[in-house]
Amino acid sequence: MKGYHAFVKKEWMESLRTYRALLLPAVFFLFGMMSPLAAKLMPDIFSGMNMEGVTITVPTPTAIDAYAQLFKNLTQMGIVVLLLVFSGMLSGEIAKGTLIPILTKGLSRNTVILAKYTVSLALWTVSLAVSCASAYGYTSYLFRNAQVEHLLFSVFCLWLFGALLLAFILLAGALVRGGFGGLILTAAFIGILLLANLFPAAEKWNPVSLAAKNMQIIAGTVAVGAMMPAVCLTLAAAVLCLVLSMAVFRKTIL
Amino acid sequence: MNILTLEHVKKQFGGLKVLNDLTFSVPEHSVFGFIGKNGAGKTTAMKLILGLLNASGGTITVCGEEVCFGDTKTNRYVGYLPDVPEFYGYMTPREYLRLCGEVTGMSAGRIRERSAELLELVGLEDANRRIHGFSRGMRQRLGIAQALLNEPRLLICDEPTSALDPVGRREVLGILSAVRERTTVVFSTHILADVERVCDRIGVLDGGKLTLCGELAELKNSYRRDAVRMEFDMTEAQTAALCEKLRRLPFIHRSECDGRTVTAHLSSYREDGRELLAFLADQQAAVLKYEVMEPALENLFLEAVK
Repeated sequence: MKGYHAFVKKEWMESLRTYRALLLPAVFFLFGMMSPLAAKLMPDIFSGMNMEGVTITVPTPTAIDAYAQLFKNLTQMGIVVLLLVFSGMLSGEIAKGTLIPILTKGLSRNTVILAKYTVSLALWTVSLAVSCASAYGYTSYLFRNAQVEHLLFSVFCLWLFGALLLAFILLAGALVRGGFGGLILTAAFIGILLLANLFPAAEKWNPVSLAAKNMQIIAGTVAVGAMMPAVCLTLAAAVLCLVLSMAVFRKTIL
Repeated sequence: MNILTLEHVKKQFGGLKVLNDLTFSVPEHSVFGFIGKNGAGKTTAMKLILGLLNASGGTITVCGEEVCFGDTKTNRYVGYLPDVPEFYGYMTPREYLRLCGEVTGMSAGRIRERSAELLELVGLEDANRRIHGFSRGMRQRLGIAQALLNEPRLLICDEPTSALDPVGRREVLGILSAVRERTTVVFSTHILADVERVCDRIGVLDGGKLTLCGELAELKNSYRRDAVRMEFDMTEAQTAALCEKLRRLPFIHRSECDGRTVTAHLSSYREDGRELLAFLADQQAAVLKYEVMEPALENLFLEAVK
């Protein structure tokens, strides 16, 4: 337990001093502010363009459009940023050899995995919360009738998907040697999940739907209950990845 | 009591056999020099002792407990200095030592005390900047400080002197022999002068096994090939003639002449030395220098890795 506390402190210091803890919330804050603004300005942008006689009529934007922009940004750029920032958290340390002096002092390897997961998950949680809170505030300011259904649940779904990715990054880092091994394997993992969505039967359970159906949840076209299989499977998969990464890392050659 | 024991340890990477039946033990409070050519398997052996690599066979015990690959409990007795130590560059030495101390469960007060003590010992007490700007020698010094922080019973150093300037090397060797009172030191090197300075036991690794192992003084004794080197105040021709005469003496195996110096190999210096001196007096040879040769560690090493 002392080792866990010490290593969490180290991870937090690392996040601060490598600017990870500033960069990630800042980028997500930007997403949160940009999305409602982009939705609001969309008609003006189109009317300002010289389309050589073609007129495009854009319906008056609503709060739904603002959230559509937000989730588009978060599920695409947001996930990419998350991957880039955290993909090296374990594989980078293994490649550099910085864990050797610490582990040869008797720190358990499980502790390393758990501490890294704790801090990365905390940063992801804070970043997502900052993003959604700023988007919510700005949307309420820009649009009338800004209330939407199930916003929190929709954000929770995305959060859970991120939590699975972070656990998978740790597993990939323990499995593959080299600094970029974790990144490539995790990208492949997302690719496989996206491919699996081609089969209608898999869609209901597929974790990636947690980062795909956010707008349908808000618009009310997908019921909260319909998401439950994917939520449960993702939760189980995240726990499994974490347990597996500990088991693999115990026998990783450093 | 033996603090470290290796029995029939084998290690191969794919088809490459690195260690092949390695057996030795290190008693408490000794400084064990682990010598071998580059690529002989010294680092591999050390990583096996730390559980960082999986042995292909054999057993290793540290303080009576068996080492297992991966998370090994025996590491709590051990301090380790890797050959090229890597630290978190964004920390200062003091912060790094605090992390190391907390990981091993030391109290905050004890960590402060030991850090100050050790940073002074390794000469980093004024280095309050972050580690990423450190030179290799400074990292090596910090590596020694972190390895000694929790007063390990076994200190394992992988070529601790390799990146250091001559003053640093001398200091590090001084530290290693000073900590002998409290801990047992195993260090690898290929610098034989370092070994002669601090080790009391050595093991020479060659071809995956120890070809020579034991107390340094004893080994030197048993490998003593008695030889006497004499320098004469005579012309080279006279010296050569004298060498020829020496060669014909029954107790001299071999004698070599090089300018005005003659080296004579005897069966036993104690028994035959007197007769040699008597012979020289009889020949009225003008002796400038008369020296019984010590076996150099270098010769021992070269013999062992032949």
